[in-house]
Amino acid sequence: MERYRSYSIMGRKSSQLIISVFLALALSGTVITLRTAEASCGSVTCFVVIGSQQQVSPKGLLTVNAFYNYTPQGTLLSGTDGVIPAVDLDNRQLILGHHREIRTITQMYTLDLNYGVTDRFGIEVAIPYKKIKHRHFDGLGEVNGGAGEETRFSDNGFGDVFINAKYNILPSLRSLLVTGVGVYVPTGDHNQTTAGLEGAETMEPTAQVGRGQVGVQASFYQAYELIPHRLNQFTSGSYRHTFRNNFGYQFGDQFDFSLGANLVTVPWLVLTNQFNFRYMMRDHYRGSLARSQTPSDPTFPDEVIVLDENIRSRSVPTTGSTYFAYTPGFQVSLGDLIQTTLNVKTPLTDNTSLYFYAQVPVYRDFNGNLAQGVSYVFGVTKVFQVLNPS
Amino acid sequence: MGLLVMSLGLVPIDGFSMGSRVPAVGTAAEDFRLVDLEGKQQSLGQYRGKVVLLNFWATWCKPCTTEMPAMQTMYDKLRDKGFVVLAVNELEDEAKVREHIKQHGHTFPVLMDRDNKVANQFGVFGLPVSVFIDEKGVVQEYIKGGLLTEQVILDTVARIQKPEPMKAASLK
Repeated sequence: MERYRSYSIMGRKSSQLIISVFLALALSGTVITLRTAEASCGSVTCFVVIGSQQQVSPKGLLTVNAFYNYTPQGTLLSGTDGVIPAVDLDNRQLILGHHREIRTITQMYTLDLNYGVTDRFGIEVAIPYKKIKHRHFDGLGEVNGGAGEETRFSDNGFGDVFINAKYNILPSLRSLLVTGVGVYVPTGDHNQTTAGLEGAETMEPTAQVGRGQVGVQASFYQAYELIPHRLNQFTSGSYRHTFRNNFGYQFGDQFDFSLGANLVTVPWLVLTNQFNFRYMMRDHYRGSLARSQTPSDPTFPDEVIVLDENIRSRSVPTTGSTYFAYTPGFQVSLGDLIQTTLNVKTPLTDNTSLYFYAQVPVYRDFNGNLAQGVSYVFGVTKVFQVLNPS
Repeated sequence: MGLLVMSLGLVPIDGFSMGSRVPAVGTAAEDFRLVDLEGKQQSLGQYRGKVVLLNFWATWCKPCTTEMPAMQTMYDKLRDKGFVVLAVNELEDEAKVREHIKQHGHTFPVLMDRDNKVANQFGVFGLPVSVFIDEKGVVQEYIKGGLLTEQVILDTVARIQKPEPMKAASLK
């Protein structure tokens, strides 16, 4: 979080701690409870600037961030009814007005590793583990007298790994400007199916833990010490593009921008305030287009009505969003806290910080889909000296 | 939760023109002028003829304060043998620095780099950094991180003051 850097750090019991972090992440997501029916809808995640994640680690240092992200999506905004299309991957069909959304909860456990190859060039690898819980009415205009059937399902697993190359183009003690170019490797499962009684169906792309295709991202992170070692400001931005996957589904481009400041109150406590803006373009689908029956149709309720047998790249209504949020948070330096209060110094807490952020929506437009609510990020940062500084 | 003023407008333009470049070993160290804690102007050039240990530090930087006792010991031992320590403090309040120096009994000159200019001149964007400069004003060693010990300083100064035999032989 702080811009100033020290080249040398203490503590080398790195391997044990890394293993512990991996174990904690693995254990945290073992319960898989899949239930019936075709999946739907979007899963969003909250996004904050953690600082240690965006910077370039000094040469030979490994900065490990392990964080948990809770994002609910359950608010119907004024003028929306939560009715959205279904994406039927097995039949390659986009069905308008087929689902009525109730709630989605996305939880993400991310292990983010930043290693300084040189003092200005670093590599970042982020490994996410995703849990999506969803509830909606499926089969509008088709089953249960056209009211649809309430279904719940969940999806768990490792998501797409992000590999990012970062370069600090303007390093100084007081400022930095880091640029990054990264790739999302499609390691996450994008073929998960439901476990319904009437046979498994492939869940919708937005409910999968992986996108099924490579993505690229360009980013920047800028920081400046307004009052050295007391108050610093930062800005951050990124653009992500994902290519069309083998189901014919392409996730919309994503633009993120953040602006904020960190205030060092006492050496062990940093307060953060930031504003976050995200603009997501609509997803696109290649397949056929259909619509659910409505009461005005003579055969209602019945099978869906095909409108176009072959759509090449139709935007998926109710995807895409504009989201602006205010995010307060804090970071506690455990080593400094324990040394200040207990006068004890241990390798376990040295170079270790805990952080917490709450992302509060200020403005949101989710194109008729459920809107993202107050989200939370909780995590830990630990820095390890892998190679001696020279 | 503290309310912070967040505005890019507060960022001075020179904040973005601070690209630091590490001086290569074997090149001349660029001269500078800074005020020390006694209020006296000090320049690098005035120490020509001596081996200079230019150390960039701050009180909050633990590796910096850890290596300072070794710097003091070697300063006491070698100051009469053509060695000087210049401790350049980065962007800190003078009273805080003065208190730290007094508390630890350091007697080497402490220079205040208030606008971060000399740090940028010497490619410093992490602390601590130590630069050994020879009698002719040429950079001989550039050390990042808190690696200074009495032995490291002793060996480095000895090597700078006494040319290696191989080199001397080859010159003949």
